[in-house]
Amino acid sequence: MKIDCTIDNRPVSLTVNSNKPLNLILMDEIETPLMQSRCRDGFCGNCVVLLNDEAVLSCLIPAFRLKGTKILTFEGFKKTRFWHDLERAYQDTGSHPCPHCYASKTLIFESLLQMIVKSEEGAKSDEEPNEQTIIKELSLNQCPCLDSHEILAVFRSAASYRRRRRVRRY
Amino acid sequence: MYEGIRSPAVHIPKTMSDLVSVITRFPNATLWAGGTFIMSRPDYYPARESNNIISLSEVADLQRINRTDRYVEIGSMVTFEQLLQVGKQVLPALMYQTIEQSAAMIIRKQGTLGGAICTQGVRLPLSGTLAALEAEAEVKSCQGPKTETRWVEIQRLYDRSGTLQLKKNELITRIRLGLERENFSTCMIAGNPMQNPRETVILSFACSYNQSVISKFKLCMVFPASLILIPQEIDMMMQGTLLPLTSQQINRVIRSVMEEILSAGSQDNPPIQIERARSFIESALHNLNAQSLSER
Repeated sequence: MKIDCTIDNRPVSLTVNSNKPLNLILMDEIETPLMQSRCRDGFCGNCVVLLNDEAVLSCLIPAFRLKGTKILTFEGFKKTRFWHDLERAYQDTGSHPCPHCYASKTLIFESLLQMIVKSEEGAKSDEEPNEQTIIKELSLNQCPCLDSHEILAVFRSAASYRRRRRVRRY
Repeated sequence: MYEGIRSPAVHIPKTMSDLVSVITRFPNATLWAGGTFIMSRPDYYPARESNNIISLSEVADLQRINRTDRYVEIGSMVTFEQLLQVGKQVLPALMYQTIEQSAAMIIRKQGTLGGAICTQGVRLPLSGTLAALEAEAEVKSCQGPKTETRWVEIQRLYDRSGTLQLKKNELITRIRLGLERENFSTCMIAGNPMQNPRETVILSFACSYNQSVISKFKLCMVFPASLILIPQEIDMMMQGTLLPLTSQQINRVIRSVMEEILSAGSQDNPPIQIERARSFIESALHNLNAQSLSER
């Protein structure tokens, strides 16, 4: 099956099996260096990417759903200005995810930060995430390297940077 | 890397009539809702034998939510996250609670109502909850130009071991829920039905009462790999009972449910599953007592 999509802001044309999971496409066809997926069944949570700006487990996305989509892996996200909010939050709190889950946890944090932006823009469907939501979303990645206090501290710090960025923009 | 693996043909119908004709032409094709369950199976990819795929994601009729004076009808392709956005005014509290407990938001945005009740081999929490809420499913059978539609109670979609009773050419298009609200409801989940179905237990319980007299008592116990139990006689037994329940009444309910579980051939289930089931019922009934006392 031929699929045209955008991966890390580069237009890509792939010829892959229609039911091949996105994480395998990224590992085999694109050779994304930081894409790690040990379980391949949605339970380790190490394969998060942003699909049309929303965090998804790439092992649960089949190739046929990728036509015309915009995929952002951690490699691509690192090149955006939003990455610095999280990088500074990790430095401020002294809590860094371990190398195995760094990419995934960062992208989950980013999807939660985008909820703040949307809620402040008044989108009805997006409420600002509460503590329970933040911990539950991060627990999708089963690596125990950050405890819930650290997760909340990182999120609060990153959220304050993101809000400041928005204020400056106005 | 995976040479020789056939790439399944993917059909993406846009209307209900297209969908019916595709299902008629390809009766062995896999109906693809959100895909979260199918893709989380360890043997999903690479697989030598892959059926063709019929993706339901673009059929607009399957994505609607309608509300009338008496009930709400939810299309089978509505995602969990969309359901939560509908709000507690429309959705029963038990369903809301079940969806919130079932998965993180990232999964909820992908998982669909129809997909959750049509999984093969494993029963997920929503099946028990919809059964406890006495929901109905619209089943469409596609046989060429002849299409039949019927409404089936959710509990009749499964046999006692939880096996789905739909035929190959049948699909669920809508779920209908009454707008009457229970006074008390709870969903308890221990374990993860996708990862460890042999140890997971799910209890969905809904109870209505008027001036402390029970009028409806619906309890559904799910062992994801082996059992879906809705003991009708306990509903009959408890109707007209005064709240709070005495410890004898609580013990009688627990004993009846446990007898039904064991008579359903669950002797081989791990002891932890049996123990979890017992403690869930006890805990739910004590919570019911606590709520009824607090309202006095």
